Amino acid sequence: MTATGVYVYAIVPTGEPLPRKAVGVGDPPAELRLISEGPVTAVVSDAPPNLRARRRDLMAHQDLLMRLTDTGPVLPMRFGMVAADEATVLRELAGSREGHLASLRHLTDGVEINLKALPAQDALAVVVAEEHQVRRLRDEVRRRPGYEASVRLGEAVAAALSRRASEAGKKILRTLTPMARAVAAGPEVHGCALNVSFLIDRHDSDRFRIAAQSFADSHRAHVELRIAGPLPCYSFVPSRPARATAAGT
Amino acid sequence: MTTMYADEIAPCPPRAGTLYDVLELILDRGMVIDVFVRVSLVGIEILKIDARIVIASVDTYLRFAEACNRLDLERDSGSRTIPELFGAGAAKSVGKRKVRKAAESVGDSVRKAVGGGDDDDSDGQEEQHERPRKRRAPARDSSSRRRRAEA
Repeated sequence: MTATGVYVYAIVPTGEPLPRKAVGVGDPPAELRLISEGPVTAVVSDAPPNLRARRRDLMAHQDLLMRLTDTGPVLPMRFGMVAADEATVLRELAGSREGHLASLRHLTDGVEINLKALPAQDALAVVVAEEHQVRRLRDEVRRRPGYEASVRLGEAVAAALSRRASEAGKKILRTLTPMARAVAAGPEVHGCALNVSFLIDRHDSDRFRIAAQSFADSHRAHVELRIAGPLPCYSFVPSRPARATAAGT
Repeated sequence: MTTMYADEIAPCPPRAGTLYDVLELILDRGMVIDVFVRVSLVGIEILKIDARIVIASVDTYLRFAEACNRLDLERDSGSRTIPELFGAGAAKSVGKRKVRKAAESVGDSVRKAVGGGDDDDSDGQEEQHERPRKRRAPARDSSSRRRRAEA
C-alpha cells in the first residue's frame, strides 16, 4: 500500500487529537495517522491505489477536514495531495515550519463561509414583469412566433437573470465584507455571478449566516444565494508555502 | 411574498452536506505543497456542479423562451391580469419547472463525472451503488480520468 504514497489531508498544531473514528480516503477507508515535526503535525494516511476525484473520496476528505476544523486551526490541503513517503512529509514540515505556524495562527478561531450568487431562475415571472427588453421581446414572440424570435427572447432572459444576479452579488459583497476578517474570491464557477469566501470568527459565523440569509430572502427576485459553511479555511491558506527545493529533487 | 417563494423552493432543497456547493474549493483551493504530487483531475467537469445554473446556449435560450410562453398561456386560459399572473404561484411554478428541467441534464452528467452517485442525498448508500455501476459500465471512466497518484 505504501508504495502508492502518503495522502496528506491537513496540517494542524501538534497535540491536536484525531477526531474519534475518523477515517480517510479509499475503500475500505484508509486508517489515519499523524506525522509530527516539532510544533506542526500532518494528518495523513496511505494513499489508495488509483486515487481519483471520486465522490466517496471527496466526501471523506471534506468530512475529515470539517471535523478537524471543529477542534482547532487547520491548514486544509487541496484534495489529492500525495507525498512520495513519510520522509518527504517530514522534510516538508521541518522546512516550512515557521510558515505553517504563522498560517495556523492566522486561522485560529476562524472558519470559511462561502457564498455563491446564482441567477434567480425561479423568478422568471418577475423578470418578465420588470425587464423592459424581455417584455418587449416576449410580446414580439407572441405576435410573430419563430425560432429567431425565441432565441432572442431567451437570450434576453438569460442576460437579464445574469445581470440581476451580478448586481445583487456586488451588493451583498459590500454588505458582508465588514463582518469578515478576510475575503477571497473563489474559483470561477460557470453560471455563478459571484463566488466568494469570507474568513469569519467562529463565534460570529451564525450571525454572518443570518445576515447572508436575510439578504437572500429579501432579494429572491434578483438572485439565488447559496451559503455554505462554516468550512475548513480552504481559501485562506497560502497555496505555495513550501520551499520548492525541499524534496531535494 | 417572500414566504411563498421559500415554500415553493422547498421541493428542491440544498443537497445533502455541502459537497456540491463547495466542490470547487476542495479541488481548487486548499493548500498546495510543491513537493507533493497531485491527483490529476483531467476530465472532471467541476465547474458545472450545479443543476440549476444558467447555461448560455441556444438550447437554454429556447427553453427560457418556452417558459415565458407558458406564462403567457397561463394568462390566456386564466383570463388574469398581468399583476395577478405575476403574483400567482401556479404561473411561477410552471416557469420554474421548465427552467429546472432545462438544466437537469447538465447536473446529471456532472454527477456522473464526479463519481457516479446518482442520489445526492443519500451519501451512505452511494458507496454501495458506486462500485457495481462501475463494473457494469467501465467504458464511462475513460483513461483520461484514471491516472495514478504516484510520485
